Amino acid sequence: MFSAYSGPILELDRVSFRYPGAGRIIDDLTFAIGGGEFIGLLGANGSGKSTILKLAAGMVRPDRGIVKLWDRPLAAYRNKDRAKLLCYFPQHLDVSVPFTVREIVGMGMYPYDIPPAMAVDEAMDTVGLLDKADVYVTNLSGGERRRVFIAMTLIQGAGILLLDEPLANLDIRYQIEFLRLLRRLQEQKGISVVMALHDINVALQFEKVMVIKNGAVLGIGAPEAVLTGPMIRDAFDVSIELRKAEHGMYITHEKWF
Amino acid sequence: MKKLFIILSLVVGMSYSVSAAEPALLPTRIISLSPATTEILFALGAGDRIIGVTSFCDHPEEAKKKQKIGGLSNPSLEAIVALKPDLVVMTTDGNPQEVDERLRTMGLRTYVWTARKLAELPDGIRGLATAIGASAQGERMAGEIEKSINRTRYKVQSTKKMNVLYIVWPEPLLVAGPGTAIDDAIRLLGHVNVSAKAKTSYPRYSIEELIREAPEVVFIGKGSGMDMQAVSQGILKKLATVPAVRNNKVCYVSDSLYRLGPRVVQGIEELAACIK
Amino acid sequence: MHKVRITLFLLMAAAILVLALIAGPRMINPLAMSATEREILLSIRLPRVAVALLMGMALGASGAILQGVLRNPLADPYILGISSGASLAAALGLLSGFYVFGRSSVPVSAFIGASLVSVLVGAFGWKRGGLWPERLLLAGIGLNFLFSAVLMLLMSLSSDEGLRRAVLWMFGDLSMADWTLIPSASIFIVIGLGIALFRSKALNALILGDEFAYSLGFAVQRERLILFAAMALMTSASVSLGGTIGFIGLLMPHIVRLLLGADSRLLVPASAIAGGAFLCFADLVGRSLMPPLELPSGTVTAVIGAPYFLYLLRKKDVLGV
Repeated sequence: MFSAYSGPILELDRVSFRYPGAGRIIDDLTFAIGGGEFIGLLGANGSGKSTILKLAAGMVRPDRGIVKLWDRPLAAYRNKDRAKLLCYFPQHLDVSVPFTVREIVGMGMYPYDIPPAMAVDEAMDTVGLLDKADVYVTNLSGGERRRVFIAMTLIQGAGILLLDEPLANLDIRYQIEFLRLLRRLQEQKGISVVMALHDINVALQFEKVMVIKNGAVLGIGAPEAVLTGPMIRDAFDVSIELRKAEHGMYITHEKWF
Repeated sequence: MKKLFIILSLVVGMSYSVSAAEPALLPTRIISLSPATTEILFALGAGDRIIGVTSFCDHPEEAKKKQKIGGLSNPSLEAIVALKPDLVVMTTDGNPQEVDERLRTMGLRTYVWTARKLAELPDGIRGLATAIGASAQGERMAGEIEKSINRTRYKVQSTKKMNVLYIVWPEPLLVAGPGTAIDDAIRLLGHVNVSAKAKTSYPRYSIEELIREAPEVVFIGKGSGMDMQAVSQGILKKLATVPAVRNNKVCYVSDSLYRLGPRVVQGIEELAACIK
Repeated sequence: MHKVRITLFLLMAAAILVLALIAGPRMINPLAMSATEREILLSIRLPRVAVALLMGMALGASGAILQGVLRNPLADPYILGISSGASLAAALGLLSGFYVFGRSSVPVSAFIGASLVSVLVGAFGWKRGGLWPERLLLAGIGLNFLFSAVLMLLMSLSSDEGLRRAVLWMFGDLSMADWTLIPSASIFIVIGLGIALFRSKALNALILGDEFAYSLGFAVQRERLILFAAMALMTSASVSLGGTIGFIGLLMPHIVRLLLGADSRLLVPASAIAGGAFLCFADLVGRSLMPPLELPSGTVTAVIGAPYFLYLLRKKDVLGV
């Protein structure tokens, strides 16, 4: 699968962008995502994380620079072809229409003219919602709803998942559940995951984080290397030190208040 | 060549006269689509030939017993067709134009009443009477009306012109404006209808304007089943300063002039009697 | 399970259609008709039922499309001011004696009015290269108020007869329905329906939100524009056929969602069928309740529709709230 490919799958090359009427928010940004990577995009609110994800997904066009998918300009892809490769997960899931789980998961087939590789039932099973196949999505909890859409992306067969703050407003139990699900998908199917976050504690769980401030990358790498005191101060304007604990996890060491 | 022309014109002429004399078939199943034409038909003696009327046809009493086929602006096509009429009488004042077209495409005979003014009434009656094969009665009725109109015109030659107001309904205030039989009657009697300047037939009038016009005679027409004296107390109080109310020249009259029909003569006499 | 429901649904619609033809106010037995009855059935009832069917289908489908495109369960083609714009155009046509198209002049002016308003709504709802649901809704409501006000002004200044005719037209008058307009209206409605059916997947995706629709590979703004245009076309044709008849666009999608689910591929055609059947039924009731008086179908749909809509609001599933 994708993890066998060693080159970058999704690249942003010297991308600059600003919303009309705003100051320049993304300036000369370059980074790449490889196969099977699991990257956390960490930054304060308003740091430009969402915009970077939207640029990466092709939802907005850069003013300068280019976004490439599998070494081809993203803009050159037909919508349906791009949908089979790249998937964007918005922050707000607003489904007030009584679609059933099965119906929404089935929508993952839309980019395809022939039935996809994975069956709808299998996708629902993978996210643990097979027994709720005919329940209305409006009757599910927030965490379950997210899983429905993850199942949809499974059907879509996209190799790259771009998620905008999917853990916001979830209890820690569901955050862990969700992350574990994504991890399973990464391991079993070689999917690359890029997730925007603003919770440092969650970022510590990732192997690779990218710290963003004002639309620019402050650092990329493993959390212990990147999330130093100065970095956190710079990105979040707060003085917190990290320490190593058992199992290689970091925790903040002083009382916050 | 000339002979051919003569023969042709004779043939064409004959076919025209034949169609003009169309009502050679006496209609015996007549439907009337307006209260005014219903009244006229009854007055022409054709009452027993009428098989359908509108829900608003309430004059004369016998009309109320006839089969109803709907309203003025929305008669039921189905009901009309189901009665199998041989003549449907309708008016341009109230019936939708489409009714005439639809009935004719379905092969039914129609007669369209077009008279709107008092002066057009006699000829209108003559036309309708011919269509139903009652020319003699029509001539008689039309003649009487003409005589009455001329008599009135002659009598009022020397009377002074007065400002007159005819209230159709007190609250909201509705008065008889231009284009109504009432307005025609007022002018026939040699007077001025203060609301003649309005744009519509039954305008909602401004009370201030009326006070300024200072009508010297006020008529209040009969509403349906209401005690007009009671409901008009309010408006008369507001008009207390106009000459008509001060001099007690307020008359309650019937609804004879509401429809352009056989009762207009009676209506005109009512107005005349009050003004004296 | 689903198939059973669909079959029952279709059977009921068909039954209503047949009933509308042979019932009220007088029952006609098609196997034993007199010449008059045949005349009534073919010249009066058949075109009337055909118009009701077409209008109902157009409005039902339009409601389903609009509720999806605007992501709003209260959306209805008339909320966007299309009905008041059409009424204004029709009233202008009636009062000014516009007769270029002969008897079809008023329907044509209504169609033009409805189409123009749709374009206006689209123009106001347009920003930065696309149509936005919130803007569309607000633009539509604003234009609705504007046109209603102008219409009321016009009516207060007009003569009694013109006024009466304009009002009667607006109430939804099917009593004079004949074959003249049916061919052209059918074409528009069929085209609109066809577009909507072909784009059902896009509609489903749009309901999930612009981001998911994009992620699933749809050109979001283009799909929205196409669906909006299809809806406008159908609504304009419907208004030109028989005036403004409300509640069908609003109500039918909700009822169908309860019975058959929210998938647009089923919702749009089923709402169309439900709308057609419902309007035929309303027309039947309108002309059979107090014969020979005919209640305008628009009144009947409102009297049945409004209470039922309020009742539906009590069921949570419908709105998901």
